[in-house]
Amino acid sequence: MRKFVILSLFAGCLVILFFTLTSMIKVFSSDLIEPAMMAEQDHGYRLVLITLELDTPFWAKVEQGAMAAAKRNGVSLEVWGTYGTNRDDFLKNIEIAIASKVDGIIVQGLDTDEFKSLTKVKAAGSGIPVITVANDVPMNESLRRTYVGSDHLEAGSMIARQLVSDMGFAGKVVLMVSDRQEYFQRSRLTGILEVLGQYSDIETKIVAAGDSREDVAEATNLLLNEEPDTDAFIAVSANHAGSIIQEISKRMQVDNFFIYSFDDSPETLNLMQQGEIDALIAQSPETMGEESVTHMIKWLTGEQVPLNPDGYFTDIRVLRTEDTP
Amino acid sequence: MNGIQRKILTMSAIVLFIMVTIWVVLTYYNQKTQEQYNDILQRYLRMNEVTDRSHQTIIALNDYLQKPSSFKLDTLNQSKESVVLAKLQTSNLRNKDNAFTLTNYIHMIDSLVEAADLSVMFHGQNNGEQSAEKFEEATRIEKYIAETTITLIDKEVRTYDTFYRGIIEQSTELKRLGLWLLSLITIILLLFTYWFSLSITRPIHKLTIAARELSRGRFDKPIEIHSNDEISFLAKTFDRMRVNINNLISEIQQKAQLESELQQSKLLLKESQLRSLQSQINPHFLFNTLDTLSKKAYLEGSEETSDLIANVAGLLRYNLRQLDRAVSLHDELSIILKYTEIQSARFTDRLRFVHEVDEGCLQLQLPCLTLQPIIENAVIHAVEPLEEGGTISLRIYAEEERVMIEIEDDGAGMSEEKIRHILTESGSSEGAGHSTGIGFSNVVKRLRLFVGADDVIDIESAPNCGTKVTIKIPKERRFGGYA
Repeated sequence: MRKFVILSLFAGCLVILFFTLTSMIKVFSSDLIEPAMMAEQDHGYRLVLITLELDTPFWAKVEQGAMAAAKRNGVSLEVWGTYGTNRDDFLKNIEIAIASKVDGIIVQGLDTDEFKSLTKVKAAGSGIPVITVANDVPMNESLRRTYVGSDHLEAGSMIARQLVSDMGFAGKVVLMVSDRQEYFQRSRLTGILEVLGQYSDIETKIVAAGDSREDVAEATNLLLNEEPDTDAFIAVSANHAGSIIQEISKRMQVDNFFIYSFDDSPETLNLMQQGEIDALIAQSPETMGEESVTHMIKWLTGEQVPLNPDGYFTDIRVLRTEDTP
Repeated sequence: MNGIQRKILTMSAIVLFIMVTIWVVLTYYNQKTQEQYNDILQRYLRMNEVTDRSHQTIIALNDYLQKPSSFKLDTLNQSKESVVLAKLQTSNLRNKDNAFTLTNYIHMIDSLVEAADLSVMFHGQNNGEQSAEKFEEATRIEKYIAETTITLIDKEVRTYDTFYRGIIEQSTELKRLGLWLLSLITIILLLFTYWFSLSITRPIHKLTIAARELSRGRFDKPIEIHSNDEISFLAKTFDRMRVNINNLISEIQQKAQLESELQQSKLLLKESQLRSLQSQINPHFLFNTLDTLSKKAYLEGSEETSDLIANVAGLLRYNLRQLDRAVSLHDELSIILKYTEIQSARFTDRLRFVHEVDEGCLQLQLPCLTLQPIIENAVIHAVEPLEEGGTISLRIYAEEERVMIEIEDDGAGMSEEKIRHILTESGSSEGAGHSTGIGFSNVVKRLRLFVGADDVIDIESAPNCGTKVTIKIPKERRFGGYA
């Protein structure tokens, strides 16, 4: 009996010893690693990429390119942005960047007075270089160092030439624009009109609509009521293409119209694959991101001063239904 | 220090050591966790501090701009300094994830201070509009700082997420470890204490058993206790005592045996002396009478009768000597010859006596009247009852260490029982029919006492085949009851 008790105690002892040891190993081996502290400030350049449309695929690509370039060049880059084109936050971001004394600001150009005053007075006053990307604001208005992005004038001309080659020399063309008349949009319009103006038989009509889908749908509706004999649509603001096509398809065959757009977003690409968009202008957002960063670094290091005030245009090309896979 | 005390102290020291070790380790780990918590809290507090102080700066600036005074300027400067101080502290909080934001943050604080300075400067130049503008800017920057603080704290939480979880996990694990350790130590101590107490009580128990054995009178069991304390010493002493008592007892027993033997031989002596005294009825008268008879017979020409009477007288004289004195074999032999001569006269041809003696043995000492009773015995049992008589032969020869005396007859022999009877010396009433009054058993007893050993006499006999008595006496006497 006594032996049994001792044996059982001994066995219990072994079992508990096992648990104690495993627990001990757990406690003493789990060395908590505190996130590494950096005593010294990073002396690389601090760049900020500020956009107005953080949620679009286009800007995601710009961000990708910029990040890749920043990594390659060993500078730190942060992307700040607002969702859903919130202008106030966008402007605040720029102000914060200026107050934070970053080394360079790469920004989506916004054709407003506030934006211009920020870049012109504050940024320039603090000696912070600003490069506009994708959307330009004229240099004399914003004091930007340069512009990196598509040549929107050329893009307009290209799409117009495509339209003419598709439709012929006569017809009625509706140009859907955003009611926020921005510089890049104006450039595109100018480009389009420059080409179409050469043909007296081509009638153009510019329709402005809000940015929301409802606004675009309403405007399209109205237009189709007023001008049922329209031959072609050009969605100058890429976001409009989808809504326009949706609205048209409610009433008649989309194939009857020539529809053109800018920006190769997934939505528009999808529409083009379905044959509903006839052609669109493909931009190179990644190259924009990359080049904006490299040019900023070049300016900061003094490698290339001054930068080309007209801007560095990135590749654009016409994508047609036949081209898509 | 003695053994048991040392054992108890050692035990306590071990227990204390284990407890202290565990306490130290657990406390150390708790301390470490506490420090980590403190660090984390401090990080948050520092970030929050920046927000607070920049807000205070704005309030002080506003105060000053409303109604400038040197005191308010001092307050403003002080709060600015505290902001800068807070800024320096926050710069220590940099890590991989928040480096960018933190740098911005620090620059924002600089911007705030600059804006405040400019505002004060413009105010001093009576440039109210620009001053107000700078103030507004400072206010905005202060707002951004507050927002960035939240962003930073947010980032902090995200960066440290796994770390925090690790701490929580570790603390639960530590608690579990504590419980396991407690139960482990409890069981180990239980076992250890049991073993330890056994090491003290087991020897005591053994000692108790040994004492009980001793008290029952068993002194032959050795007490064996293997232990390294006082109990072992006690046991050793106890064991020595047991051995001593054992020795004493056996000594006493030996002495008692010796004493009883002595007593017996004394009694034997007294008995034979008494007998001899009984027959000493005026021996000189008897000797003289016998001598006269002998001479008278000789004178009357009866030489044979004269010799016979002389032999009887010699025999008598010999018989009357002190029985407890040793005599030589030579004397003993001569008395036997006298006796046989007397008996020959009685039995004539019926008694044939043959003797064969090694002369070298005749100096051997032996108790007086040892051979004669045996010869007489042979005469009585082997010659007297038989009509044709018998032969008695005496042979004395030497062996390596002993002298052998053989007395052989060719009579009826005797039974096994009788032989045993003689050899165990129980025939006390014997010798009544003997001429010297000394029986066979008496001879055996005296021989044994004389030689000091039991193996002195052999009797070989079988019915109708005669009897052979062999007496063996060592040449060298070891000790004896006879002087």
